[in-house]
Amino acid sequence: MSYAVGDTLPPFTIESVSAEAMEQWAIFLADPNPIHLDVEVVKAKGLGDRVINQGPANVAYMMNMLMRAFPGGRIKAMDSRFLDNVYGGDRATVTGTVATIEGNSITCAFTLDVEGRGTVNSGTATIEI
Amino acid sequence: MSDLDTLPPAPDAAGISLDGTTVFTISAEENAALCRSTGIEPASDGTAHPIYYYVATQVAMGKTVAGVCEACQFDVDDGPMMGSSGVRFDAPLMVGTSYKVTGEILSLIRKRSRKLGVMDVLTYRLRLHLLDGMQVLETDNVWVLPRKEFAA
Repeated sequence: MSYAVGDTLPPFTIESVSAEAMEQWAIFLADPNPIHLDVEVVKAKGLGDRVINQGPANVAYMMNMLMRAFPGGRIKAMDSRFLDNVYGGDRATVTGTVATIEGNSITCAFTLDVEGRGTVNSGTATIEI
Repeated sequence: MSDLDTLPPAPDAAGISLDGTTVFTISAEENAALCRSTGIEPASDGTAHPIYYYVATQVAMGKTVAGVCEACQFDVDDGPMMGSSGVRFDAPLMVGTSYKVTGEILSLIRKRSRKLGVMDVLTYRLRLHLLDGMQVLETDNVWVLPRKEFAA
């Protein structure tokens, strides 16, 4: 498989961010923060009216896009910024492009966007192919 | 004179150790559940989902999330927020492999933002090691700690 600077990477979409998955992530992360589990807490804190996805799950979506775009490749480095929340029920899509290529090392830029609200995460990563 | 000069400084948290005392093992069952919760199937080559860089270091560091906040004199119920996360891998993470964590708080800096008001920006670094000490990754995470007590 060949790549070129400016290539658009195949998008990765979560059709509906799952509240049940947030319950799993509370266990994975050993972090029972109720904003991920109890919509009444989210409302009481003035943060919205749906449970809020754990940030690392959003990073995992972005990693999934990269792993699918570069089969057999390895993520060597990644930086991501958290710009806004992802809520239960959101349709979230990761898109990205190839920024640089040096030997077998490819740098990509990408965003996680939520339908109707725009970019909620952004980042860069270096993939070794 | 900056308006921050009228505020007390952020607590002195830099240097606080986050070395872990427990071992974290990536189980095949949990890796599969985690992968499926994010919309993919687990890899068939024994590698774990790379997001375990965050999961393993958070779970096996020497403090809980609430404990890290406490070290910054911040109540976890006031809502810490992730600002950014970075990772550099030296080796892939493997299912069935056990890891330990070392790390420390790098800085806690008081700032004022238009959106959040007064906040402390926490930066901490964690490293994941095999049990023989070989480092497999280093991660720097930034959390935003909104200081509601200084709201105008």
